[in-house]
Amino acid sequence: MSTGRSPIIRFDHASFGFPGLIALKDISLPIYDGEFVGVIGPNGSGKTTLCRAVLGLLPPMEGHLHIFDCACSELRCHHRAQIGYLPQKGVVDRNFPVTVLETVMMGRYGALGLLKRPGMKDRHIAMEALTQVGMESHKDTALGHLSGGQQQRVFIARALAQQPKVLILDEPTTGLDITMQHNVIELVQHLHDELKLTVLLITHDINMIRSRVDRLVLLKTRLYAAGPPAEVLKPEILHQVYGKELVITEKDLVIVEDYHHHH
Amino acid sequence: MLDLLAYDFMQRSLLAAAMVGGLCSIIGVFVVLRGLAFVGAGTSHAAFAGVALGYLMGWPPLLLAIVFGLATVWITGWVEERGRMKLDVSIGILYTTTMALGILFIGLMKSYNAEVYGYLFGSVLSVTPEELRIIGALSVLVLSLLLLFAKELYFIAFDQEMAEASGVPARQMFFLLLTLVALTVVVSLKTVGAILVFAMILIPASTAYQLTHSLRTLTLYSAFFGITTSVVGVSDFRHLGRSLRAGDCAVGDRHILCGGSLHLSE
Repeated sequence: MSTGRSPIIRFDHASFGFPGLIALKDISLPIYDGEFVGVIGPNGSGKTTLCRAVLGLLPPMEGHLHIFDCACSELRCHHRAQIGYLPQKGVVDRNFPVTVLETVMMGRYGALGLLKRPGMKDRHIAMEALTQVGMESHKDTALGHLSGGQQQRVFIARALAQQPKVLILDEPTTGLDITMQHNVIELVQHLHDELKLTVLLITHDINMIRSRVDRLVLLKTRLYAAGPPAEVLKPEILHQVYGKELVITEKDLVIVEDYHHHH
Repeated sequence: MLDLLAYDFMQRSLLAAAMVGGLCSIIGVFVVLRGLAFVGAGTSHAAFAGVALGYLMGWPPLLLAIVFGLATVWITGWVEERGRMKLDVSIGILYTTTMALGILFIGLMKSYNAEVYGYLFGSVLSVTPEELRIIGALSVLVLSLLLLFAKELYFIAFDQEMAEASGVPARQMFFLLLTLVALTVVVSLKTVGAILVFAMILIPASTAYQLTHSLRTLTLYSAFFGITTSVVGVSDFRHLGRSLRAGDCAVGDRHILCGGSLHLSE
């Protein structure tokens, strides 16, 4: 995957965290243009921290992080506007008085810059993003009136309206039923294939993404493994990270007992 | 009603009520959406302490109200940003501290000063032409900034971190919003007082919140409720008695009654 290409995101012995708490330690990882990367690891392993770092919200305490050939500390608003982001469910107030189209239009604000009002072109881009996720007929519906799966689609459309180079999705299937989970992952796969987006998908559901991603990144405060799914999903590596929380079936399905969701 | 419009004081009062009602109700949309309700209360009491210090020292009270109001919101925002304390806790501390300072400053005055209490309870029927000009200028300033940065302010009210991640200068916008809340409170002090301004900011926006799911309509409804209840409150004061204080009370009563009844009707 990496041969002959320069990375769009590059972690170089980077550590992240807060005073007295290291969430990610000594991460060295290149992510290449157009890659579909799945980020996995137990709760508290630093997956969301990795996501916040790529968004430029958390500069490294040690080492370096380059995004679009720009050091994290030099990341400007126009760089950030090139990264579409779907936050974890529950972070956003889903009953906020906003229509679907107004939500997606917010994706244009960063790219537009200050003092510029969205025009017909931005509205067209937002409608196109809604069409890409199959929600164009709901443009005037209140966001709070949609189902969880539909809301996720709207938030993906909001990220797409930025016309990003990189799409980051933080546990996009959490709280959705199995059909909705499948639909959302299908949509992400479709967007990656159609729009040639670099996708960073953070998830607990290894089986759902193992056949779709180019590479898996396995975290538990440090980087345990990164590579094609077959190389990462080896019993000895997984046991190191998940311990007794993990079972591998005869059909090579990985079952992770997710205490965060069950308790 | 029409006969009263012939009086200059009534024209000024109606104009002041409309401006303050409109301004408070529009900034109120962002206050309600971003969860800054208590900031409005805290800032108004801090600004009142500034007014009291102004009268005590013989300095311009409105200027000190701005200084106290801005200091309060900026400290609150800074403390929240550092993650050391939740916003409602820090504003609670500053609210009681500045209120205590206000009472202390009043206590240090050698004689009773009715004008200071005018800023506590408001005095819409005694707005002077100069005060009207100040209210007008500050209202234009605040509304212009709200209009210029509306899209960014809506986005940070929705989700500040997502806004920042999308390339919006969210931190600067948050401090701009706090600054505009402080200026709105100061603009409204003389007209509606430090106590009622809280209701003027919250009630129209929270009433509109019950009626729509669109940001644009929410803002328009809020402005409509804010302006109409303020103007109706002033113009209707003679039904409650002809004293000036009754007129001031009427503004607040109308707000609370109209807003409250709309809430109940939902």
